Amino acid sequence: MARITVDGAPIEVPDGSMLLPSLLDHGFQIPHYCFHPKLSIDGCCRMCLVRVEGMPKLTISCNTPVRDGMVVDTRGPEVVKARQGVIEMLLLNHPLDCPICDQAGECYLQDYAFEYGTRQARTQEPRRKLLKRVDVGPRVVLDQERCILCRRCVRFCREIAKTGELGIFNLGDRSVLDIFPGEPLANDYSICTADICPVGALLSKDFHHKMRVWFLDETESVCPGCANGCNVKIGTARRKVYRLVPRRNDHVNDTWMCDSGRLNYRFVNERRLREPHVRRAGSLVSASWEDAIDEAARRLGALTRTDGGGAVAAVVSPHLTNEELFVLGRVIAGGLRTVQRDVAIRLGAADELLIKAEKVANGRGARDLGLAAAAGEVDLAKIRAGVEAGSIRGLFVIGTDVWELWGDESAAIFERIETLIVQVTNEHPLVAHADVVLPGLTFAEKDGTFTNFAGRVQRVRRALDPGERPSDGEVFLRLGRRLGMELPPGGFEPEAVFAEITRTVTRYRDLSWGALGSLGLPGRES
Amino acid sequence: MAGGVITVVRRPRLRAMDTIGPLLILRGLAVTTRHFLRNLWGFLRGQPTIVTIHYPEQSQPLSPAFRGMPVLVRMANGKERCVACGLCEWACPVDCITIYPAETSDGIERYPEIFDIDMSRCMFCGLCEESCPEEAIVMSPRITIATTDWRGSVWHKQDLLVPGSGLAVRLEHVRRGYERTGAPVVGNQEEGRP
Repeated sequence: MARITVDGAPIEVPDGSMLLPSLLDHGFQIPHYCFHPKLSIDGCCRMCLVRVEGMPKLTISCNTPVRDGMVVDTRGPEVVKARQGVIEMLLLNHPLDCPICDQAGECYLQDYAFEYGTRQARTQEPRRKLLKRVDVGPRVVLDQERCILCRRCVRFCREIAKTGELGIFNLGDRSVLDIFPGEPLANDYSICTADICPVGALLSKDFHHKMRVWFLDETESVCPGCANGCNVKIGTARRKVYRLVPRRNDHVNDTWMCDSGRLNYRFVNERRLREPHVRRAGSLVSASWEDAIDEAARRLGALTRTDGGGAVAAVVSPHLTNEELFVLGRVIAGGLRTVQRDVAIRLGAADELLIKAEKVANGRGARDLGLAAAAGEVDLAKIRAGVEAGSIRGLFVIGTDVWELWGDESAAIFERIETLIVQVTNEHPLVAHADVVLPGLTFAEKDGTFTNFAGRVQRVRRALDPGERPSDGEVFLRLGRRLGMELPPGGFEPEAVFAEITRTVTRYRDLSWGALGSLGLPGRES
Repeated sequence: MAGGVITVVRRPRLRAMDTIGPLLILRGLAVTTRHFLRNLWGFLRGQPTIVTIHYPEQSQPLSPAFRGMPVLVRMANGKERCVACGLCEWACPVDCITIYPAETSDGIERYPEIFDIDMSRCMFCGLCEESCPEEAIVMSPRITIATTDWRGSVWHKQDLLVPGSGLAVRLEHVRRGYERTGAPVVGNQEEGRP
């Protein structure tokens, strides 16, 4: 450890680290543009200037290694004057676009211009004219005038995405950010360049001109797009999800997130099922929650009473939270009295950075909690064979993943089922075959935990109020009671269920709801 | 002095004469007649002394400082000056403004697809006008906003658009008030933006 003195205060920082990250870790406010904790050091923006005693000139703190006994001044008049100069130079050609710029409100240039800028420009020359809306890729748009040439995006594409589409072209005050001709910025992580852009030069097309950021409520949650469980913030306003942005978690996703995960939020807003439906005289009609759950319990109960647990099976969604899975597991075993259950997990492409092959949020949780068929048990293939052979006549399907798995044959298979109870969040062809439809909630509407591919248990938080709709766990509880199970009184409380999980499941024994915090915790090694 | 002194004004005691009804009627008629004759004389001389204004045919001249209903400035090309930046929506203390921005292919890049003001909620404070970086929302002198139906109290973009020329007096006042000199740097007055 090196002992250094910053603005008169002694602090200890690790040997060999750079000054800027150490100062930021200790809560010092040092303005910076080009420095990013997960990228290499470039030192081109000159904003993080500090005075170090013994050095002849001011120095950029991002590229100055700490040395024992260093004395640093981060806010003296000389430092402030230098920063004012840097800001004035950056603002020379920056357009006054703030009213139409999506970055306004979370813009470093805006913030530092308020802190260090002069209210009036001293130049009389016209501002530099460059291309305003460059279509650099399918998901990102570039405004060259707004770019301050910090090269964060260039380094991201070279070092993290390893595709290198972006570059700074020309020299001096003719420098512009652009793509190489015919090489669009189309890598799987392209919108991360918009995240790390300190100004509004690179912007996500999906969010472009949709909503001012200061109207967004941000909720810390987890991306449900694949088994990686990238930490995100859900941006909501007007009872809709407007965007997902990555949140730093060095154990999972650093500060990155893939484009497909980021854009996978529309199902929360669109084509939702809101009312339960029950099939009467051949057609689906809307029903009250009570009637729908009654009907589901009556039909499934009749089958198990006459033919035993072998006549029914459950296909479980890996998008349920651990708490819901835990309750559901009990309802399947105690209410449906069957051992025939499995999780439907869709697989897809994977890469070495973040994207995992399992395209579901909580496959690991379902396996940990025993909802997935173990070797020798009745798995999804056997459930399908049972349905086709006519031995399985009742099916409780949660989620639509199984429909995608069975592909073109799905319609024919589901048509054979005598009693089909489905719980899904959105309109889907599966619903047409159902006898009882129970609308489910999405990840943005529930509290709970997901377990990622590596076994890290992370909190999902409610970003949107589902209103009167009961949570999925609540529906399972009511169904269980209707099926004659003795369940403790009261509604579905994720926190209480999680406590029960930690008592009964070995892998989760060391965890507690409160200790998960915003970054989650790994479970016990098995 | 504990408690101070309160001056109590009692009703004057009625004289006997004041209790005779027909006399009072005549006295009232005398006042009416006096005003009638004075107004008639003024009317004949061409200098009416009447203070009554024939609203709604006539109306009071309003000071440029008067804040009536907020309106949106329409540029010469027929489009709104508003770029849907959302500052007025944010500044509004009663949340009466609702904006849904959208993208256009022209130089301005951004416009309000929906711009609604709920006039039944508006309290005419003028914070929207003060926060607007484009001089696009202005407190007009208009005060006739009554409706017979609450749905009519929500004004949509097309109802709110007013040519900028009609608001020149108010805009001048606003620029002086907020120490803005001339038109804003971005957004050239009527022709659109650079």
